[in-house]
Amino acid sequence: MPLEILGPMVVVGIVGIALLLRYLGLAEPFQLTGEHTRTAWLREIPDDVPKQILIASNRENALLKLASGKLGLVHVMGADTMARYLTDATWQHADTALTLKLDDFAAPHFTIALAPQEQAKWASLRDAP
Amino acid sequence: MNGLSYPDVTTYAVPFFIGLILLELAWIVRKQRKNGYGGRYEMRDALTSLIMGAGSVIAGILLGFITYGFLMFLWRLTPLDLGTSVWVIALCFVLDDLRYYWVHRFGHRIRWVWASHVNHHSSQHYNLTTALRQTWTGTFTFMMIVRAPLILLGFHPAIVLFCGGMNLVYQFWIHTEAITRLPRWFESVMNTPSHHRVHHGRNPRYLDANYAGVFIIWDKMFGTFVPELDSEKPDYGLVHNIGTFNPLRVAFHEWVGIFKDVTQRGLTWRERLLYCFAPPGYSHDGSRDTSEAIKKKHLARHPEDADTVGFKDCGL
Ligand SMILES: [Zn+2]
Ligand SMILES: [Zn+2]
Repeated sequence: MPLEILGPMVVVGIVGIALLLRYLGLAEPFQLTGEHTRTAWLREIPDDVPKQILIASNRENALLKLASGKLGLVHVMGADTMARYLTDATWQHADTALTLKLDDFAAPHFTIALAPQEQAKWASLRDAP
Repeated sequence: MNGLSYPDVTTYAVPFFIGLILLELAWIVRKQRKNGYGGRYEMRDALTSLIMGAGSVIAGILLGFITYGFLMFLWRLTPLDLGTSVWVIALCFVLDDLRYYWVHRFGHRIRWVWASHVNHHSSQHYNLTTALRQTWTGTFTFMMIVRAPLILLGFHPAIVLFCGGMNLVYQFWIHTEAITRLPRWFESVMNTPSHHRVHHGRNPRYLDANYAGVFIIWDKMFGTFVPELDSEKPDYGLVHNIGTFNPLRVAFHEWVGIFKDVTQRGLTWRERLLYCFAPPGYSHDGSRDTSEAIKKKHLARHPEDADTVGFKDCGL
């Protein structure tokens, strides 16, 4: 097929489908609850059970303290979730957001909207023995 | 017969792809209004899948000459020429599907090839856009070598590539939850939405199953067939799902992972090679799980699943 036809068709198709999905309300992020967070973690790492869970106020991220003593993050990916250990993550605090940086090309950084008092709670769960 | 050319079926299929995506979406929205279920779409996920599809076509245009050049090189070597009759094309289609089965199986069992194929499994959704989430880096897996026997047997490269394109076009429509089961005779011979849902499942039971392209018979012949159980819905995605919708990260993350693993300090050469070519999940210190380890751990937690489908011959 000539590129002059294929190119525009692909671009219009992609943009059109994306706009349609947004119009249909299919761009709303999943909202975590405590039970969801637990299930979302165990779905990926079934042999390290969450002991404590802190859910961010926008319900798109949660910090977990696990049975192994390690820290974990459950992060909303569109309508779904993903889970990662935060063992070697660096924490960057800013006024309204916390950025977690991981040494993982497929999950490199997460900027999490958190008020200062929430950030303090996350840091204290991190530092708890 | 060097100037033989066939239509590039994957690009001609694009309008049908778009039309069927809209149809599936309409069906899901209608069904969801009625009873709250019928498959799922999410904007960013679909957008990433579609961009991966477009990028894959661009990669084919930019890098296709490597595969084509390799196949034409073999074509000049072989004394055999089966011609271009309909029967030859039909036979080529069946044999090329066997070729697809093995390339796909290598794609899940050799990390070097998985690095390219992983992105097809990186969506947690299973809809028609998922079908288009195709690799950009297939050329670097060198899996065109598996096509060599076909050319050497006398199938012209243009026919082999045409059959490969038809194979991919066939696989488009099976990426849907809208179709539950098809008539039994069809399910027993052909790859179907049900069989391929199993292939996309990250459930321990469904790992490393149903590599078929068009005909499911290869999985039955080579012992990799697992039927979809009504009692266990496939959970789509990767064992460890990715945390990004960025197409560049989706396309290259496993290659970066290989590079990081291979260049670690203090490894033997054997370990470095294993990081490239062992099954995904290999690690020199046992810190990660291969699919066998995942199945074994699952059976330790759920002994009642032992010897059920997907857990045959992987005893505790
Ligand atoms: Zn696959
Ligand atoms: Zn697929």
